[in-house]
Amino acid sequence: MIWILLPQAIASGIVTGSIYALVAVSLIIIYKSTDVINFAGGEFVMLGAYVGLLALTFLGLPYALAVLTAAAVMWVGGAAFDRLVLQRIGKLDLHHSILVSMVIATVGLSFLAKGLARIFPYTEQVRRLPPAVKGDPIFIGSIVLQWHDLIIVGVTVLLIGMLFWFFGYTALGKALRASSQNPRAASLVGIPVMRMRLVIWGIAAALSGISGVLIGAKLPVTPDMGASIILLAFAAAIIGGFTNLAGAIVGGILLGVMQNLVGIFVSSGAIAVTPFAIIMLVLVFKPQGLFGGTFQQKKV
Amino acid sequence: MYDIPAGRYLLLPLLLIPAALLMVGTVPAYFLYLANSLMILVVLALGLDILLGRAGQFAFAHTAFYGIGCYSTALLNIHFGIPFVLGLPIAIALAGFIGMLVALPATRLRSIYLALATFAFAEGAFWVFNSWTSVTQGANGLRLPVSSVLGYEVGTNAEALPVIAVICALVLLATMFLATSQLGRHFAAIRDSEHVASASGVNVKRTKILAFVISAAYAAIAGGMYTLHQSYVSPELFTFHLIVLVLSMLVVGGLGTIPGVLVGVVLIGLLPELLRTVLRDLQIWQELIYGAILIFFVMLVPRGLWGVVDSLRRRAR
Repeated sequence: MIWILLPQAIASGIVTGSIYALVAVSLIIIYKSTDVINFAGGEFVMLGAYVGLLALTFLGLPYALAVLTAAAVMWVGGAAFDRLVLQRIGKLDLHHSILVSMVIATVGLSFLAKGLARIFPYTEQVRRLPPAVKGDPIFIGSIVLQWHDLIIVGVTVLLIGMLFWFFGYTALGKALRASSQNPRAASLVGIPVMRMRLVIWGIAAALSGISGVLIGAKLPVTPDMGASIILLAFAAAIIGGFTNLAGAIVGGILLGVMQNLVGIFVSSGAIAVTPFAIIMLVLVFKPQGLFGGTFQQKKV
Repeated sequence: MYDIPAGRYLLLPLLLIPAALLMVGTVPAYFLYLANSLMILVVLALGLDILLGRAGQFAFAHTAFYGIGCYSTALLNIHFGIPFVLGLPIAIALAGFIGMLVALPATRLRSIYLALATFAFAEGAFWVFNSWTSVTQGANGLRLPVSSVLGYEVGTNAEALPVIAVICALVLLATMFLATSQLGRHFAAIRDSEHVASASGVNVKRTKILAFVISAAYAAIAGGMYTLHQSYVSPELFTFHLIVLVLSMLVVGGLGTIPGVLVGVVLIGLLPELLRTVLRDLQIWQELIYGAILIFFVMLVPRGLWGVVDSLRRRAR
């Protein structure tokens, strides 16, 4: 009898999963190029949602422009963080773990961003972003979807497609891949690696920003919204072994669907546990993720 | 770092005890509360420092063991009447055991995955504390009974202070011995380079697991100490926010050194009190300030304030 709910669960799971996939991709491109895990990823989404909200309500921009504004603002913010903080840490002469310091910096950023959002009385009230297109729900068989849901999936597919094309076929994209695979070799052939990092952070932040605006119509927009999102994005990224973009996308969608399935077949309370369980299970049994290939241990 | 002449320095932690006894009669209750909280934070921070600062393992599971220690000690008292002196060691053993279970798979992971896995474990533990309402009372909070330590009733801050001071002093002494021991050197070895350590004969996996277990034990001790002077505990305490707080103490004071941890705990621990007099609505600004402090220090004062003091001392020689 519960099985009637299955198609709906899968459909809406794909929708939320797309958002997780986008944020996971954002985390992965940062990790692949800088080995840094961005603990502030959820806050990028949150800030993007607020920028979009402000653009829509105070600047009266049309939806598409609001999304672009969020992307642009987050791009600048992300690149600025890398330039002002992370690259600076990278130049420090530390005996051990520059990487640990960088990750601590992202933790600090996550708190800074949350705190920044919280100061303004504007964020005290829980808000919601309007959907991209207002309209009647769509019925496909027993499945009910909103236009906004389709747009979420559509935008995700579009962005991922653009990313694949960008990284695979453009000169800049290839330069970015080069500098993430082997920064020293890349700089030897004349690629400005530090500037490439700025672009990576910009792209990652922009992706999160766009996700923020999109998810803001389905989730309440509060300074704390980043916390749950980051966990799910981590889980999705880990399924992809944290290195495989396609894996992360599959991971995100799998996660979205599994959350709904857990909600139906187990209990709604257990939904929250799904990401932790997945993270622990995958890391314990298959640290390279389901798609990551053989587990690589970086030497010295 | 590990060249502290253990001799005269060993006396310093012991000074906590007469200091505590002096404070009980003379100082207002609020300061007693602060002293208790700070000493608990010292134990908590030392534990995280062992894992993060000394062994270089980037793990975020600390709050889970803090909670396990706290709830276990309290529940053993409530349901089985087990006194603190017995309950705490049991809680420590439990936390250590779970720490080992987590460490066994976790030590295979690269440092970054380790951070994620332990982060997930900590969030999972929080969910357990919150949802296992039949045992922990969940979000309603668990009323902590008055503990009896060796026959004495310990409930108020004044009563708890000497006991907490004794435990804190013991933990400090233990840490000093650990720092100069062979295990301490092994920790530093795996922090600096696992491969070189392994080539030098250090059992990397076993050392990592030990670091985990010891760190979990410290957190559990802190949890037990908490039950001495507080009247109730809720899962709200064991969130990522707390780890960030302790992390800030380590970053500000200096990772890997005992004086550094102490400096960090005192500064960051007293910070809310300081801010409370300046800012009316502390809650709102708290995250912003901690975030800013973390970034500022990790960027500009990477070895912490004690690291600065230390380099000045070296230059003066």
